[in-house]
Amino acid sequence: MVISVQTPDSAEAAHAALQAGAVPLGGGTHLMTRLNDRAGGDLRLVSLRRAGLSGIGVDGATVTLGAATTLADLEDDARLSYLSGCVRSIASPPVRNLATVAGNLFVPQPYGDLAAALLALDAELDVLGAGGARREPLEQVVTGGLRADDLVTAVRFTAPAQSAFRFYKAARRRLNSGSIVTVAARITVEDGLVGDVRLVLGGLARRLVRATGAERVLLGAPLNAETVARAAEADAIEPVDDAYASAWYRARVYPVHLRRALLGA
Amino acid sequence: MPSRIVTLKLNGAERELIARPSTTLLDALRETFGLTGAKRGCAQGGCGSCTVLLDGRPVVSCLIPVVTVDGSTVDTIEGLADGDRLDDVQQAFVDHFATQCGFCTPGMIMSATALLDRKPDPTRQEVTEAICGNVCRCTGYEPIITAVLAAAEHRRGVPLASAEAEV
Ligand code: FES
Ligand code: FES
Repeated sequence: MVISVQTPDSAEAAHAALQAGAVPLGGGTHLMTRLNDRAGGDLRLVSLRRAGLSGIGVDGATVTLGAATTLADLEDDARLSYLSGCVRSIASPPVRNLATVAGNLFVPQPYGDLAAALLALDAELDVLGAGGARREPLEQVVTGGLRADDLVTAVRFTAPAQSAFRFYKAARRRLNSGSIVTVAARITVEDGLVGDVRLVLGGLARRLVRATGAERVLLGAPLNAETVARAAEADAIEPVDDAYASAWYRARVYPVHLRRALLGA
Repeated sequence: MPSRIVTLKLNGAERELIARPSTTLLDALRETFGLTGAKRGCAQGGCGSCTVLLDGRPVVSCLIPVVTVDGSTVDTIEGLADGDRLDDVQQAFVDHFATQCGFCTPGMIMSATALLDRKPDPTRQEVTEAICGNVCRCTGYEPIITAVLAAAEHRRGVPLASAEAEV
């Protein structure tokens, strides 16, 4: 049951509400589903909709996404066209008009496809915490989480070089379906050899996985089917069972989707 | 926290309601304003039957605490027709048999309306994407896609099937 909903008009006021025990409400596309099921317990919410945390900044190669920017806003921004495939694979337009960038970082798998993309892009978070503002690598937050009274205010990353970003999501339907395997990668190829690679897997396991084993196999190797097949063997991933697919199926199709993501076939 | 007064510009008119913290936009529309076009199918954001336009964009109204959208513009299916005269998207749904039980129809039409407002000349693929969050258990979707494309044509000056039939 929702006991109260605050609608502060600044990040500082939103943070103060978190410190007083309120729970952040971004677009509500995850939290509200649980509250509508009466499954959330008694909650005080603080809505971030009016807290001045929306907006997209592109300054040279540096991209800054306000925490409460909606997925629809990303989709509409031509400067972020490399993210369009990822964003359009998430839910449906009436959900993407609500769902927020920072919210996507904290939804459980197999959701959080944008989080997979942002992790592949080595994003950093601007966080307002008890000690003031700080930066944290998204990678650290994905594994270690944040304190309950930390407020993410923005996500920053360096725009990928032309065609260096790959995103591939396998789902049961072409649109509006949870992930079975999501592959997000930042990869550069020079003279046929992999120069730089960051590879993130979503939808497969309980958490987003940075496939460091696969990255090691790929680095410096020719980008071909044989290398990618070896890369798919290189990480100990524990796939999950859910309504979308069995763990067995996920393990079985991961190499195929890694190949499609990296080689396009 | 006590209830709050929320103001909405609802189908063109300023309206006020007293909202509890747990009142969703969908609750407000249906229970306070008696606008029962938007339906509560799943209350999970999964079926789209509660779709309305919030500041011109389609949203699932079941997931929005109404106090968070105080001052916003909300448009629902009830605002489309001019008296007894259906708007072009509604008329296209009738003409192309795009509604059967009708449960999905208000949400479907609001998603389609949002698409046509932004893209007057959508491709079939764009129509499919626009309605991918609206579940229909009856029609098999094809008549709906046809209707939306026909409404788009009508907006560009091609008469609707029914108008032709009357001639
Ligand atoms: S009732 Fe809102 S999406 Fe189903
Ligand atoms: S007409 Fe019955 S659900 Fe679509």
